[in-house]
Amino acid sequence: MASLLPHGVSPSGFAKALAQFRRVVGDQWVLDSEDDRQTYIDPYALGDGKDHDSSAIIAPASVEEVQAIVRLANAFKVPLWPVSRGKNLGYGGSSPAEKGDVILDLNRLNRILDVNERQASCLIEPGVGFFDLFRHLKESGSHLWMSVPGNSWGSVIGNALDRGIGYTPFGDHCEQLCGLEVVLPDGSLVRTGMGAMEGSATWQSYKYGYGPGWDQMFMQSNFGIVTKAGVWLQPEPEMTAKITLALPNFDDAGWAIDILCDLRRRDVIQHNIVFGSPVRAASTMSQRADWYDGKGALPDSVSETMMKKLGLGWWTTKISLFGHEGTVTAQIDLIRRLFEPKLGRALEFEIWKQGDPPEKSAQGIPTTMGLQCVNWYGGRGGHLSFAPVMPQDGSLALAYARKIKAYYEQVGQDYYASFTIGRRHINNVSLILYNRDEPEAVSRADRLYRHLLAEAAASGFAEYRGHISYMDAVAQTYNFGNGALRRLNDRIKATLDPNNIIAPGRNGIGRHA
Amino acid sequence: MTGSRFFAVLAFGLCAAAIGYSDPGRAGDTPPVAPPPAAARPRPASTVDAILFGRSSAVEGERLFGQKCAFCHVGPSTGAMMLGRRLGKDKAELPKRTDLAADYVKAVVRNGLVNMPPFTRVELTDAQLDRIAGYLARQARP
Repeated sequence: MASLLPHGVSPSGFAKALAQFRRVVGDQWVLDSEDDRQTYIDPYALGDGKDHDSSAIIAPASVEEVQAIVRLANAFKVPLWPVSRGKNLGYGGSSPAEKGDVILDLNRLNRILDVNERQASCLIEPGVGFFDLFRHLKESGSHLWMSVPGNSWGSVIGNALDRGIGYTPFGDHCEQLCGLEVVLPDGSLVRTGMGAMEGSATWQSYKYGYGPGWDQMFMQSNFGIVTKAGVWLQPEPEMTAKITLALPNFDDAGWAIDILCDLRRRDVIQHNIVFGSPVRAASTMSQRADWYDGKGALPDSVSETMMKKLGLGWWTTKISLFGHEGTVTAQIDLIRRLFEPKLGRALEFEIWKQGDPPEKSAQGIPTTMGLQCVNWYGGRGGHLSFAPVMPQDGSLALAYARKIKAYYEQVGQDYYASFTIGRRHINNVSLILYNRDEPEAVSRADRLYRHLLAEAAASGFAEYRGHISYMDAVAQTYNFGNGALRRLNDRIKATLDPNNIIAPGRNGIGRHA
Repeated sequence: MTGSRFFAVLAFGLCAAAIGYSDPGRAGDTPPVAPPPAAARPRPASTVDAILFGRSSAVEGERLFGQKCAFCHVGPSTGAMMLGRRLGKDKAELPKRTDLAADYVKAVVRNGLVNMPPFTRVELTDAQLDRIAGYLARQARP
């Protein structure tokens, strides 16, 4: 008998459901043992992760199997928590928001169905990871480039659907999606955009189709299960240039963010720019104990030693330029004119031209190096990210950084912040690192997150993405009209998914009381 | 303050990058008598080399290791850095280890170890894990 049951399902009902699921995908691909379920617990869980344990895992290999499972899930009222590859680390990994959901693991839908070299796009399934697509492109001699997130272990589609980002001109991943195939909560299949036409020749060429565009409806939501997506890729440019800038003073954030935001709005800099504090860089190269073993937050004097040894600033940022040689050269001149007088030194860009080694270029090369940060405090580490969306205003960002740093110090947490500069916004990512086996660290992370959420909301800033433990709390901050958007989401959910089968509670939608 | 430890790690990173992986599957078979002249040495393993590791190997375990593990365990990478820190630089990169037993590899993969998350039996089947464990244990000394 199952040791954990899905919400509202009886032991005998669940046993019957599992038997039916096994008939669809085969015994090997329905897992419900304690050992198997343990491998799906979020590796960065706050504590042991059992509060988000699943009751079983189903791993279909085709769209037809996904449809059959969704129909059975309706018949047996078994909630499914779909994951593409389950590597949404820092947001809950594979774990469901609501304990007891059956994880629908789409790892086996891992085909790269098409790469269109001329149109610079591809059609892939959700189990395709960034490393898989990169390898495929390199092995096939493609000249198309990818954008990759800081942790590239996960799914290309999954990351885009959760509105993850990268650091090239194609870094707003959700905006590179062009055409989705979706299994709806009743098991029927829909294709969006031009894919709504049988035999369409332009599914990956034009996003909108005819009438309303539904693609956004399937992002950060639980209105369907995406089984295919078109993704736009970047044609290899003639030249790239990149540079890391270390800004020596905390206050430099004010003027530097204003310059960078202006360059971003004008599309001189075409990528999301990250602007990070010392621990951000230091935690990918070293451990806290290398620098300091005292209690409480890292003192500024230690941060300054770290900066000196590692060549960091109070803020360290990387700028990349992509395009034809004439354009890139002109942009380098412009950036030098803007920054050199402020920094009092010449800027040396690293240049890549076609034929040079790929590592010299500014293209996205998948990596997991960023995951080293969870080793900062030692032990089994994790991280939790709080990232409110703010307007592009340097003095406001600086004042906010001061306030948050002071609060980190008050609760005894090492300050780790970055400002990601988007096209019209700044995302202030406050990363909270912890040793998940230290109850005090876990409770500090929770207190800090809830404080940051309330503090940001009071200033008119809301979170862009949420960890499974805080999805409802974040959704509650979107409270215009006494929660009008939540009510709309819940009405759509109730209409499309009356049995609340797909990911109840995701982003606060369709949660069980 | 142990900044020097950091530099040891950094130095290891550079050193690991300088080793090269022109034909990792055979690296253990015929130890070179003398170091080759500088010009003939394989170029340092890059991040991209680590991602493409084992792709043309005739050994299935090595190919699978290349797809599922190498990006964290070869060259300048997360697992190699963490292991180098904990066990010493000679133990940083898994394909070069001579102390890995197949059962140990399987236990770590299924249970995770410190900051390495466990692999599920969907992402990596038992049959695939057997191949990878066999490949990593090929040089094991009794």
